[in-house]
Amino acid sequence: MDTNRVSELDRHLVEFAQLLRTVGLKVSPSEISDATEGLRVIGMVDRDKVEAVLQATLVKDYRHIFAFKEAFRAYFASLEQKEAWQKEAEKKATQWNEQIESTHQDLRFQGNELDLTEEERAVYASLPEKDKQRLRDFLEKSSMGSKIGAPVDHLHQPMVERVLRGSLEYWRKKLNEEDEPILAPGSMDGVFSEVDRALHEREVEVLSRDLKKISPEEWPEVIRLIRRLSQRLASQLTRRYRADRRRGGLDMRSTLRKNIRYGGVLVERRYRSRRKGRPRIILLCDISGSMLKYTEFIWQFVYGLSNVVNGIKTFAFGESLIPLTGKLRKGQTFEAMVKEALLVSGKEWGGGTNLAIALDTLQKKFPDTLTKQTLLLIVSDAQTLEGERAATLLGGIRRHLRQVLWLNTLPERRWIETSYVKAFLPSCQMYECFTLDHLTTILSKQF
Amino acid sequence: MPNQMTLDQFENILEEIGYITERDDRIALTTFLATELDKPLLVSGPAGVGKTEIAKVLSRVFEAPLIRLQCYEGLDETKALYEWNYQRQLLKIQMGREHLQEEDLFSTEYLLPRPLLQALLSEERTVLLIDEIDKTDSEFEAFLFELLGEFQVTIPEMGTIHAKKRPIVVLTSNGERELSDGLKRRCIFLHVEPPSVKKEVRILRAKIPDLPERLALEVARAVNVLRERLSLNKIPSVSETMDWAKALLVMGKTGLEPAWVDATLTLLLKSQEDVELFYREMGAERLLFESSKVESSKGAQGERHCHGHQQS
Repeated sequence: MDTNRVSELDRHLVEFAQLLRTVGLKVSPSEISDATEGLRVIGMVDRDKVEAVLQATLVKDYRHIFAFKEAFRAYFASLEQKEAWQKEAEKKATQWNEQIESTHQDLRFQGNELDLTEEERAVYASLPEKDKQRLRDFLEKSSMGSKIGAPVDHLHQPMVERVLRGSLEYWRKKLNEEDEPILAPGSMDGVFSEVDRALHEREVEVLSRDLKKISPEEWPEVIRLIRRLSQRLASQLTRRYRADRRRGGLDMRSTLRKNIRYGGVLVERRYRSRRKGRPRIILLCDISGSMLKYTEFIWQFVYGLSNVVNGIKTFAFGESLIPLTGKLRKGQTFEAMVKEALLVSGKEWGGGTNLAIALDTLQKKFPDTLTKQTLLLIVSDAQTLEGERAATLLGGIRRHLRQVLWLNTLPERRWIETSYVKAFLPSCQMYECFTLDHLTTILSKQF
Repeated sequence: MPNQMTLDQFENILEEIGYITERDDRIALTTFLATELDKPLLVSGPAGVGKTEIAKVLSRVFEAPLIRLQCYEGLDETKALYEWNYQRQLLKIQMGREHLQEEDLFSTEYLLPRPLLQALLSEERTVLLIDEIDKTDSEFEAFLFELLGEFQVTIPEMGTIHAKKRPIVVLTSNGERELSDGLKRRCIFLHVEPPSVKKEVRILRAKIPDLPERLALEVARAVNVLRERLSLNKIPSVSETMDWAKALLVMGKTGLEPAWVDATLTLLLKSQEDVELFYREMGAERLLFESSKVESSKGAQGERHCHGHQQS
């Protein structure tokens, strides 16, 4: 192999590794070096073998195999194909830039540009012309002055921006019920765009789809998956708190007693073994209106977990705390169970949320459940009344617990819009959790 | 230490000793690559797909003794690497108090080598199988870095011990716990999926020579349907498929019948929940009907390799 060829190969491998990194794989320089060495051993005549070598050396998690295969297909595609992708990506990017550019012209207050995010501008760009015109009219009128003739100046701009943001947020939700981000069409790089497109298509698979979008026919499979995951959570929870060292130190008393027979020479040693502490789990599930779409997920998670962990305490909360422990029955839906419990308490299913009341009740009525052995698992979208009080209460409770884990069904990028998330964060570990993939990742990360 | 064989030769030896691979599963190529690059091989996949078998096969291919470390929760270096022979040290102290130096007590004489150290100290090349690494704690995993990266271990009282002959290291994982990036970086990675129908038929025929081809095919198809159509808690492993085939053979069957599927189902499905699921969602007759529609070449487009013509 001459030097030029080697460097060309290296260049391609480094570029390919970069592509893999952009789609979420971790590739280190030593792995690139392994790939080079592997190709030297196996040769580069057979495309399949090259793929196999790169997969074996650069991919270290089976969940990344699909992304790798797509990246390999796109990166090592024919030149014509790559050019076609490149053109397509450039066309989309140009269109996008033009649209965004036009928003800079359109959305002005007294000639000044408004301070809006890229996504807000994107929402505006995606509106029908008639609605765009209405927003422009609003800006034009408000630039001129109020109805009663009071003059407006640049100091009013933040207020106008707030109104416009509110309106765009309304349109974002209306245009995009699935709550997916309206973002740029991706990179100008044709190969990357192609891989990105393929990965996006893959998202239709059950694992990475939002749980509220899963159809009823698919639920049996999802249920089994959730149960398996909750089983895993349970077994790992118990493991986590086991002795972290094999030996808990020399048990002098027992050692001496054991060695009396050897005349006091310490031939045999006895060790103290650490007590295996099993965590107690308290599950707190949000059943408010905003969480209705996730009911089935919560229920399966609760049921799966309570099947494998003894003594799990389950509570639902909306405007108050509803104890569900001991009420789980096979074959019953979560909704039916909660409704049954609600009949007793006289509250409504799918109403508002008040975590503060729930935590307060938990603390006052069930103080025995809150111990250093307790893992508090909250499943909620953090949209609650009295958020500040709830955060303070959670902070207080946190001190008495082993851990507080919060599975938030809202995507992480929406957390900033939920005013109290920031206040909750110091007292818990919060994870976005609205797909099974998320749940799996949380379990791997956390336990 | 590079092998004295090509990929083709390696694949042929695998075939000769009865280890069935296909081009698509990439087992042969990846395993060969790991041994060529002198890197540990990390094999992941569901239980019962033949991960451990790979180490056993390598041991036969390279005629190297297999040293196995079965991992479990709480495993530490005294069980995996070495332990001082405390009783013997004590005896030595009792015997020669006056002339005793500290070094006298911390020499190889008083060392009890455990599997990892055995593999490093071995005069001949060995195959070191670290089975179910995901069952250990992350501390132990970190402890393995030195061994996996440099094929050496450091014993504080003695210094660093280098491998006399670099062992072929195979680690297996069922994916119970996410392994650390450090560990994964040091390994060549292979993910093994359950075999295709065609591959399983070949495995059955190789391991049970008396098994009629028709029965082997029907068994493999039925197991394939169970694995793919039902969301079982535990999918039937290859060895369970073999047990099932053997049982049917012993009973003199040449093909599958619903009554016999019912009678022998527990050889495949080992939990009550899975059995209930099977009867609720499928049942023996439907299983046979569904499996009759499965193509034998399903999932196995690649015939057993004709790859590996050239080495660069």
